[in-house]
Amino acid sequence: MSKNDTSKKALLSGDEALAFGAYEAGLKVACAYPGTPSTEILETLATFPELDVQWSVNEKVAYEVALGAAISGVRSLFACKHVGLNVALDPLMTSSYTGILAGFVAVVCDDPGMHSSQNEQDTRWVSIYGKLPMLEPASPREAKEYIKQAFEISEKFDTPVILRMTTRVAHTKEDVTLGERVVPPQPPFERNIPKYVMVPGNAYGRHIFVEQRLKKLKALSEKTKFNRIEPGDKKIGFITSGVSYQYLKEHYPDASYLKLGMTYPFPDDKIRAFAKTVKKLYVIEELDPFLEEHVKALGLKCHAKDPSFRIGELLPELIPAVVKGEVKQEKIVAKRKPRLCPECPHWATFATLKKLDFYVAGDIGCYTLACLPPTSALHSCLCMGAGVTFNEGWRKGAPDKKIVGVVGDSTFVHSGITGLINAAYNKAKGVIFILDNSTTAMTGGQQHPATGLTIRNEPTKKLILEDLCKACGADNVDVIDPKNRAEFDALVEKRINENALSVIISRHPCKLLVKQ
Amino acid sequence: MKDKTCNITFGGTGGQGILKAAEICGWAAMFAGYHVKKSEVHGMAQRGGSVESHLRFGKKVFSPIVQQGGADVLVCFHPEEHDRLKAFLKPDGKDLTDYLEKAKTAIENPRHLNVFLVGVLSAFLPIKTDFWLQAIESVFKKKYVEENKGVFLKGREMGQS
Repeated sequence: MSKNDTSKKALLSGDEALAFGAYEAGLKVACAYPGTPSTEILETLATFPELDVQWSVNEKVAYEVALGAAISGVRSLFACKHVGLNVALDPLMTSSYTGILAGFVAVVCDDPGMHSSQNEQDTRWVSIYGKLPMLEPASPREAKEYIKQAFEISEKFDTPVILRMTTRVAHTKEDVTLGERVVPPQPPFERNIPKYVMVPGNAYGRHIFVEQRLKKLKALSEKTKFNRIEPGDKKIGFITSGVSYQYLKEHYPDASYLKLGMTYPFPDDKIRAFAKTVKKLYVIEELDPFLEEHVKALGLKCHAKDPSFRIGELLPELIPAVVKGEVKQEKIVAKRKPRLCPECPHWATFATLKKLDFYVAGDIGCYTLACLPPTSALHSCLCMGAGVTFNEGWRKGAPDKKIVGVVGDSTFVHSGITGLINAAYNKAKGVIFILDNSTTAMTGGQQHPATGLTIRNEPTKKLILEDLCKACGADNVDVIDPKNRAEFDALVEKRINENALSVIISRHPCKLLVKQ
Repeated sequence: MKDKTCNITFGGTGGQGILKAAEICGWAAMFAGYHVKKSEVHGMAQRGGSVESHLRFGKKVFSPIVQQGGADVLVCFHPEEHDRLKAFLKPDGKDLTDYLEKAKTAIENPRHLNVFLVGVLSAFLPIKTDFWLQAIESVFKKKYVEENKGVFLKGREMGQS
């Protein structure tokens, strides 16, 4: 039995189950940039030949292409990790005003505990900020069910819908029943200037619409079965959502629950009604006090976790301490740290950067691991593209230091290009290394424009990085294999001593790629 | 509440086939009619770092992760990880770490370690052989199915002896 058999059961991750649910709901277009723990959504969707699926250059582009598709009349999906949504926030905020034509869902996977991320931001706040409905499945089965409902809500209320998962939902596998694909009739694409041209006058009208829509969505939140009261022991009642619900059920199987699956807008009446039925009310949630602050704002007396538990995952063994309101005891567990693979080409590049004692502005990718001792040859990691821009920024205050920037090939295409143009335009100097291993390695080896292959490994127009860098205004662009150590060292020494803006493309394929 | 939910923790380092081992076990439990939840980590955590996967199956499963002191069976792939992983094991839980040594003589190809340990593990779980073989058919490419069934049965035999 293969995963693509329908009307059968399969053991699927939250990402995969969501993809199957979207497929069954008649999805046509899906766009994303890879990012743990969301990557497998697009990888799964790409296995269905009737879908139009792409790795986009970055999340902003992905969001816009998918939203455009929805506005043209086909159900569409955008997927990203939490920090990816920051990149797509510009189109997201105004897409709340334009609304959609066919269903559009933005799937966002948060990473509490930072298994593979640079921060622990809680995406639920974006639903308030963007005035958008948010669904929060607590298991793969729910992910499959909720995505279908998300398309319905999107179309009924003319709104993008945010579907938020966390790593423990996205990467949990569960037995899931598969169904048939049903494609809804396609509405006709028409010009609609007041709805889609967000100039001030039109946007004012749409803001009125958005506020009215929120009221209607609130009514939905009150009555949806996704916000479910499970009556139990009247002494203890939990308001909870996501995987925290699952952990609580293990520890307090007999308690009363208000399990929230639609976490925005808040179902105020349901919350008040539930609070009345229990003696002691708890709000238990992972990361930020999103539900807690709202329940308190309703004037309800409730118990919640100590602020120290806003950091990291609420693992099952921590639940009793969380419920008691205790302070988190930070334990250092001797876990084997990740490191670069033994044959990784980045070792050679960083050996040189270390030997020459550079200050290295870093970026996001496998090579970020070069910060670890004993190499310790990468000195910043902020966000996608900042390896290029920190080279410029650091030179402002520390012109006497030997500063360089490093960025991966996929990361450069995602967010580094603009930084390089900025450096050239503003007469910045220095050496930017593009660590070109010809794949998006950290997330498992996805294609990108400079590999010349699509998400389905079909040949396409290949972005030539060296030509691009020249066009951006770099004075020198060299391509070299870092494993030719002597030659590489000589080139780096030469370029660092010039008063120029240079790009060294340090090119050697990822060893995992060679294996494939 | 936890009536007969079976909890298994798999652990070791990246590249040892740990996720695949848990995957086979998850499919087998599903074919046997259980509600299954299995958790794992991807991404940076897999770059040679500690890898952990939890599998829970039973009539109705809530949490996808086994809590510390909650595992009925511990399948440890790397002796250096044992100290950390043993915290997951119940006081009366079954620790399969000894089979790492036994595997060295039982299998020729070290890449088969994961399927061999699944075989050993299968001897301690209430899932029939047919479901295990069906699971192997589901998770491996066709050309690898027969060889892996052989390795599995070898492990199962060792677990039963």
